[in-house]
Amino acid sequence: MTSAPFPDRPRVDAREKVLGQAQYAADVAVPGLLYAMLVPATIAKGSVRSVPVDAAMRVAGVVRVLTASDFPPPPAGGAGGPPPPPTITDQIAYRGQPVALVVAETLEAAIEGAEAIRPTYAAMAFVATIEGDGVEPQPVEPSTGGDADAAMARAVTRHEAEYVSPAQHHNPIEMLSTTAVWEGGVLTVYEGTQGSNMAKGALMRTLRLSADQVVVKSPQIGGGFGQKGGAQRQTAIVARAAMLLGRPVKLVVPRGQIFHNATFRPKNRHRIEIGADAEGRMIAVRYDADQQQSRQGQFPPAYHESPPMMYGIADYHGTAANLRIDTQAPGYMRAPTPHPSSFAFDSAVDEMAVKLGIDPLAFRLKHRATRDPIDDKPFSTHFLHECLTEGARRFGWDKRPLAAGATVRPDGTQVGWGVGCGAYPANVHPTIATLRIGADGTTRFAAAGHEMGQGIRSTIEQVLVRELAIDPAGLEIAIGDTSVAPQHVTAGSWGTASAVIAAERAAASAKAAMADLLAGRTPPAGNLHRQLATVRRPSIQVEVTTTGPGQGAKEVERLRQGGMAVSGPVYPQFTSFSYIAHFVEVHVEPRTRRIRVPRVVSVADCGRVISPRTAASQVRGGVVWAISACLREATEVDPRYGGWLNNDLADYVVAVNADIGEIDVAFVDQPDNMFNALGAKGLGEVAMTGCAAAVANAVYHATGKRLREMPFRIENLL
Amino acid sequence: MNEEEGGAPAGVTRRTAIGGTVAVGSALLLLDAERVEATVQSSPPPRAGATLAIRPIVNGRAAPVTIDPRTSLLDLLRERLGLTGAKKGCDHGQCGACTVHVDGRRVASCLTLAAKTDGREVTTIEGLAEGDALHPMQQAFIDHDALQCGYCTPGQIMAAVACVREGNATDRPTIREYMSGNICRCGAYAGIVAAIEDVAKKGRRV
Ligand code: FES
Ligand code: FES
Repeated sequence: MTSAPFPDRPRVDAREKVLGQAQYAADVAVPGLLYAMLVPATIAKGSVRSVPVDAAMRVAGVVRVLTASDFPPPPAGGAGGPPPPPTITDQIAYRGQPVALVVAETLEAAIEGAEAIRPTYAAMAFVATIEGDGVEPQPVEPSTGGDADAAMARAVTRHEAEYVSPAQHHNPIEMLSTTAVWEGGVLTVYEGTQGSNMAKGALMRTLRLSADQVVVKSPQIGGGFGQKGGAQRQTAIVARAAMLLGRPVKLVVPRGQIFHNATFRPKNRHRIEIGADAEGRMIAVRYDADQQQSRQGQFPPAYHESPPMMYGIADYHGTAANLRIDTQAPGYMRAPTPHPSSFAFDSAVDEMAVKLGIDPLAFRLKHRATRDPIDDKPFSTHFLHECLTEGARRFGWDKRPLAAGATVRPDGTQVGWGVGCGAYPANVHPTIATLRIGADGTTRFAAAGHEMGQGIRSTIEQVLVRELAIDPAGLEIAIGDTSVAPQHVTAGSWGTASAVIAAERAAASAKAAMADLLAGRTPPAGNLHRQLATVRRPSIQVEVTTTGPGQGAKEVERLRQGGMAVSGPVYPQFTSFSYIAHFVEVHVEPRTRRIRVPRVVSVADCGRVISPRTAASQVRGGVVWAISACLREATEVDPRYGGWLNNDLADYVVAVNADIGEIDVAFVDQPDNMFNALGAKGLGEVAMTGCAAAVANAVYHATGKRLREMPFRIENLL
Repeated sequence: MNEEEGGAPAGVTRRTAIGGTVAVGSALLLLDAERVEATVQSSPPPRAGATLAIRPIVNGRAAPVTIDPRTSLLDLLRERLGLTGAKKGCDHGQCGACTVHVDGRRVASCLTLAAKTDGREVTTIEGLAEGDALHPMQQAFIDHDALQCGYCTPGQIMAAVACVREGNATDRPTIREYMSGNICRCGAYAGIVAAIEDVAKKGRRV
C-alpha cells in the first residue's frame, strides 16, 4: 500500500451514461406495472374530512385509490434512527402533503384520477414564515471555545453584521420516484436514494416487514445533494399499494410535489461580531445563528461546525436556534450548514479586512489555525494557506487593486476580484466489503455506498486497479443495494474515504489470500485471473471490515443492523476537516446591474485525491452550486396559503450553462495519514463552501456595495 | 431571422413540433429502407379509455403502437417502447433531460404529444452510436468528463449534436447560450462546453 498520487483515468461509468444505458430507478423495466399519482393537500394545517373517490374510480383505467384508512398506524417509537416519515394520514402538517394515491393501468389515467379527487378539509390557523407570529424559538447547545466576551473586550477593531441565506430546494434532475414489487413475500423497491438502508428500515417499520422481506436497490442516482439522504415520504405509500394490489407499482413524483414533500435548505440568519487586536489579528467571535424549522423537524442548526476551524481564533462563542413553524421538515442540502455559515463568516472576515485596510488575501494568511478551539484538539492536516497561496498564484491576485470600485471597463462594466474560504468535516463510516476475484477474468467488489455522480465507483476502481493485477474491464462494483452489502446513507462527504479504505484493505487481504494459495511457489505468469486459472482455482473471496479512528465492534454492529455509525470530524486524537479557497472575478454590467462570473479558481485540500478527473468535476460542480445559490436560488413561501410559490424549474431558477464561465481547479493533494492510510478526506461538500462569500466579496470589490443576503439580484445593486 | 434564432433554442423547437410545422419529407429520405422493415417492440396497449394507433420511426425502425392520445413522446419512449435513455426531469419543458430529435431537430419530448410523431423520424440517445462505435459527441463527453450523475447526459448529448448541426457551436459563449435549455444540476457545464467545442473544432460530421 502506498499513499502516492493517483493517475488520471476516465470516470468508470461514463460509457454507459453517454449511451443512455445507465439504469436509474424509474428506468427499471417491470412487467405488469401499474402507475400511481399522489393527491396533494391544499391546506397548510388541519385535518382531512373526506376523500371522495368515486369520480376517480370512474376514470377508465383507474384500479384503486388509497387513502389514510389503507395504511397501518405509525410504528411505535424506539431505537434505530429517526422515526420513518408518515404515510397518508388525516392530519395535515404542511401544504402539499399526500392525502391519497391513485393507481391506474396507465400514467395518463393515474393523473386524470388524481385530478378528479377533491378532498374536504377542516383547516386550522398556521405559521408560514419565520418572520410571522406564532414562531416557536428553540435554542440548541452553544459552541464555545475560550472566553469570547473577555477577548471581545480587548479588541480594538470590531465588525458586526447580519447575513441571511434563503430557503432553497435541491432539485436534482432525477425526480423522486419509487417502483415497488411485492412477490413471494418479498418487497423489492427501486428508488433513487442515498440511503437504501434508511429506506429499507423505514419500510420494515412502517409496513411491519422483517429484514429478509425487504430489498432496496439504488445503483445509480440522478443527483442527490442530500435530498435523497433520508427516508422519502412516498416510498412506503407506493410499497403498500403494490402489496395490496399484488402488482408492481411505479410513482414518479411531479416536481411541484417534490418541492412540498422533500426536504429543503431552511432559511437561516447569522449575526456575527468579530473583534481584532491592535496588530490587526482576529481574536474574538460572537456568532448567533437561527434557522427555519418544522414543528417536528430534526435537521440540526450546526452553523458552528466550520467557522471556528478556519483562522485560529481561540475565543469563540456561537449560539444557534430552531424557529419552528408549519412547514415540511427541512434537511441536508449540499454543504448543509457550512455553505451558509461560510458565506456569512467569510463575508464578515472580508469586511474586517476592508475595515483594517488590509488586502483580504494577506489578512487571511495572517491567521493560521493549528487547533480546534471548540474541542481543544490538534488538526490532523490543515492546508488552507496552501490553497490560498496556490489559488492566488493561478488567479494573478497580485495585480488586484486594494480599493473597491477601482476597475471599470470602457463600457462601464465594473470588475471585482474576491476570495472566500470554507471547510467541511472529514467524516468516515464503518464499511463491510467483500472482494471476489475470478479465474474467468471477473472481479466483484461489494460494499456500502451510493453513486450519485460524485464518482464513488471511480475512486474504488482506482484503488483496486492500482493495488491488484486485475482486468478493469471485468470489474463490477456492487453498491447501493441492501442485498449486496450493509449500506449506509452516503452523504456528508464520507462516501469516498469510507469506500476506498475498504477497497484498500480488501486488496491487501486478497493479496494475502493469493500468497497463501501459492504457499511459497513463484506466482505464475499473468494477472491474478490468469494466476488463478493456472493453479486451477475458480476464485478467491475475502471479506473485510473497516471503521473510523476510535470506532469498534459496536459501530460495525450498528451498520449491520442498517443504522448509521458515522464518526468525525472530532476523533480521539485530533480533529479533521477538508478546506478550500476560491478566487472569483465578477463583472457587474453597467445598465442592467447583472452580475456575471467569468472566471473562478478553486484550490482544495481534500487530502489525497483518489480520482483526479471526477474530483475536479466535483469541485466545478460545487462552484456551480455556489454561484447558483448566491445569484439565483430562493424558494418563496406563500404567506397566505403556506407552501412554496415557485415550485418548478421555470420559477425556481438554477444556474444554466450561460451563467457559468471558466473554472480552474487544483488540489493540494497532500495525504492526511493521521485520518486514514490512503490519506483521503472528503470533497463533494467542501467544494461549495466559501465560494458564495468569494462572489459577495468580489461584488463588493467591483461596486463598493456589500451584499449580505443571498441571492444577490439586480435590484440589490441598483 | 427564423423563430429558432429568436429565443431559447430548445423551447422554440418544442413549440414548432407541437404546432405541427416540422417538415416531414426530408427526414423520411434518410431512412434505411431495410431497417424500417424491422419494427420496435412495444409493451401491450393500455387497457383504458380512448386509443390512437400511430407509427413513428424510432431510431430508424418503425414503431407501430396504440396509445392513449394524451401520451407524451417521452412517456411513449420510456413506458411503452422500453427506450429509457431520454429522462424525465420536470415533464414541463423546463430542464431538457428529455431532449430527442424529431425529424432531425431537437425537441423536449415531454412537451411533444406522441400523436404528433406519427410517421416522423424520432432519434433518441439509443440511436446515436453505430454499433459499438460511439458517436463523436458521446466520446467527447467521456473525454471531457462532461457529466457526473449522468441523468441529464442523454438530453445534453442530443442537444449538443443538434447545436453543432445548427451551426451554433461557433465559440464558447454561443455554445453556452444554445445549451442553456438543458440544465445540469451536477454542474458539468464546463465539460459540456469543452466537449462540444472539441467536436466542432475537429470538424467531424455529426
Ligand atoms: S422532462 Fe422534458 S424538459 Fe424536463
Ligand atoms: S450530470 Fe447530473 S444533472 Fe447533469
